[in-house]
Amino acid sequence: MTETLTPAPAPATRPARLSRLADDDLALLLLIRHFERELLRLYGAGELNGTTHTCLGQEHVPVALRPLLGPGDFVFSNHRGHGHYLARFGDAHGLLAEIMGREGAVCAGVGGSQHLHRDRYLSTGVQGESLPVAAGVALHLRRTEPGALACVYIGDGTWGEGAVYEALNLAALWDLPLLVVVENNGIAQSTPTGAQLAGTVAGRAAAFGIGHHLVASADVNEIRPALEPLVARVRRGRPMVVEFRVHRLGPHSKGDDTRPPEAVRAAREHDWYARYAHDHPDHFQPLDARARALVEDVVAEVSARPPSRWSPCA
Amino acid sequence: MTTLTMAKALNEGMRKAMEDDPKVLVMGEDVGKLGGVFRVTDGLQKDFGEQRVIDTPLAESGIIGTAIGLALRGYRPVCEIQFDGFVFPAADQIITQLAKMPMRSLGKLRLPVVVRIPCGGGIGAVEHHSESPEAYFTHTAGLRVVTCSNPADAYAMIQQAIRCDDPVVFFEPKRRYWDKAEVDTSGSADWLPLDRARVVRSGADATLLAYGPMVKTCLEVAAAAQEDGRSLEVVDLRSLNPLDLPAVVESVRRTGRCVVVHEAPVFSGYGAELAARVTEECFYHLEAPVLRVGGPSTPYPPSRLEDHYLPDLDRVLDAVDRAFAF
Ligand SMILES: Cc1ncc(C[n+]2csc(CCOP(=O)(O)OP(=O)(O)O)c2C)c(N)n1
Ligand SMILES: [Mg+2]
Repeated sequence: MTETLTPAPAPATRPARLSRLADDDLALLLLIRHFERELLRLYGAGELNGTTHTCLGQEHVPVALRPLLGPGDFVFSNHRGHGHYLARFGDAHGLLAEIMGREGAVCAGVGGSQHLHRDRYLSTGVQGESLPVAAGVALHLRRTEPGALACVYIGDGTWGEGAVYEALNLAALWDLPLLVVVENNGIAQSTPTGAQLAGTVAGRAAAFGIGHHLVASADVNEIRPALEPLVARVRRGRPMVVEFRVHRLGPHSKGDDTRPPEAVRAAREHDWYARYAHDHPDHFQPLDARARALVEDVVAEVSARPPSRWSPCA
Repeated sequence: MTTLTMAKALNEGMRKAMEDDPKVLVMGEDVGKLGGVFRVTDGLQKDFGEQRVIDTPLAESGIIGTAIGLALRGYRPVCEIQFDGFVFPAADQIITQLAKMPMRSLGKLRLPVVVRIPCGGGIGAVEHHSESPEAYFTHTAGLRVVTCSNPADAYAMIQQAIRCDDPVVFFEPKRRYWDKAEVDTSGSADWLPLDRARVVRSGADATLLAYGPMVKTCLEVAAAAQEDGRSLEVVDLRSLNPLDLPAVVESVRRTGRCVVVHEAPVFSGYGAELAARVTEECFYHLEAPVLRVGGPSTPYPPSRLEDHYLPDLDRVLDAVDRAFAF
């Protein structure tokens, strides 16, 4: 076994108090949270097929990035992408319809949970494959739409895939406006980061001369201003890896959590949801109730829709 | 005799192979602690240790590449590709190294690597969890390509594949993982050789050629056709490369009609090879052209449409009707 330098999951000390968020940030966090919870319930009730990967515990990542990315930027998402999509478009109806295959779906229900396409947003569930594609888009953006960037979300485990390194090499060589957002939740399905990633994400970025920034906080007010100048740099052709240290609250997909209960408990200690409810109950409660109600409405409304239709290659 | 699901039969087969030969290794994503997404490797790491049942990073190309390296040093790695759609990052190693190295070295280098791939649809999953990529690999000279259709074959074939000195791509029809049947785990005396097809139902009027998930479908078709007074023979090919051509030819010459059934798209699918071979070998015995039933040429559809994509009783019976009406 090689020595791994990747730090173990953060110790279960109680994280700092969260600052008071703007209403729209909190509302978006809560929308994503309740959307994902509701999805797991729907699967559990047998109303959805196949599989899904929820971003429970990782909602703050795309929420923090939301105003930093403009409509001219591309976003490439992965299997755990519902939060990425909701942060960009706020469109819970379209997303649920996509997952359920109902009218009004983002891609007519053909893509499902893991394969969304809308404007400059594309996701795939095949790990690592989107990085070179994002690099290609970034090359075009650099040439024809200077100032725009391509943002690609990947997990820690995806750093095992070779395509990631081909893309990083190209991005650094060609000064591409490529923002790689890593959601390091300390695990890939059942395999802890320490057993699948030698060295560190930071060290790997450094090997290509690519900047790296670590975000350990879940406080959107703290994260966003720190990222702002970095994202501006990416726009000028300096690729960047931003690594979020996050905690997966739920199973990998559904009912497949192999972690010992202590590890899941430790992850919960970091959950912004419980922390925010504790730190700012007056702000939290009304918005939480509203997000719950909103998602319930979305589920009721979308479930009643007829199946989606489309004609191929129209 | 014990009653086993196909997943459990594969598991027991691998367990037996690991007991018999300390050089047998299992490797792949989440095969150890989790026991694989379909629990096919369940309990193996616990019993054989982390040196022999290796959880790898997400690195399909790396998994097959290191398996080749291990095989060069005398091991018999059994690699799990988590889902059909994830074999493509490994395709480079499979096609350019695994398939070719034995030939390039004039057979001095043998690569007893098994690449296990859960394949096919029918479980309501997304496109990259439902594909049937067998034709990419049957097209690649230097690989054996086999697929099991039932628990008893699964138990025997996985052990034969592991014992085989050639690279074997082993397709496991995932929607049949939970099918149960009696499996004789007492020994290998009755096993059919790995490269042989099996007539799983005899008949006189037409031959259905199938493999993997479609064998069960074809058996249902044959039972339904019986009620219309048609006697259909069902051949489970089991080995796609090499193909057991004599068994196929013997059957079709006898019945005079042939329908090929697979889940993969018909266009350029494995059935095209079968149709061509059967036509060449059985031309004067055929009452009708060889017909094919398979998926349309589209990426695998969303789950609520998969019933339209997958060949079913009606579509196969329709092809049988056409063969009789010709
Ligand atoms: C090429 C490829 N191989 C395997 C998989 C199966 N798979 C889906 S998610 C996953 C784990 C991903 O881990 P990570 O990148 O850390 O993301 P996380 O799930 O933790 O968000 C695996 C192995 C896949 N989607 N793509
Ligand atoms: Mg992860």
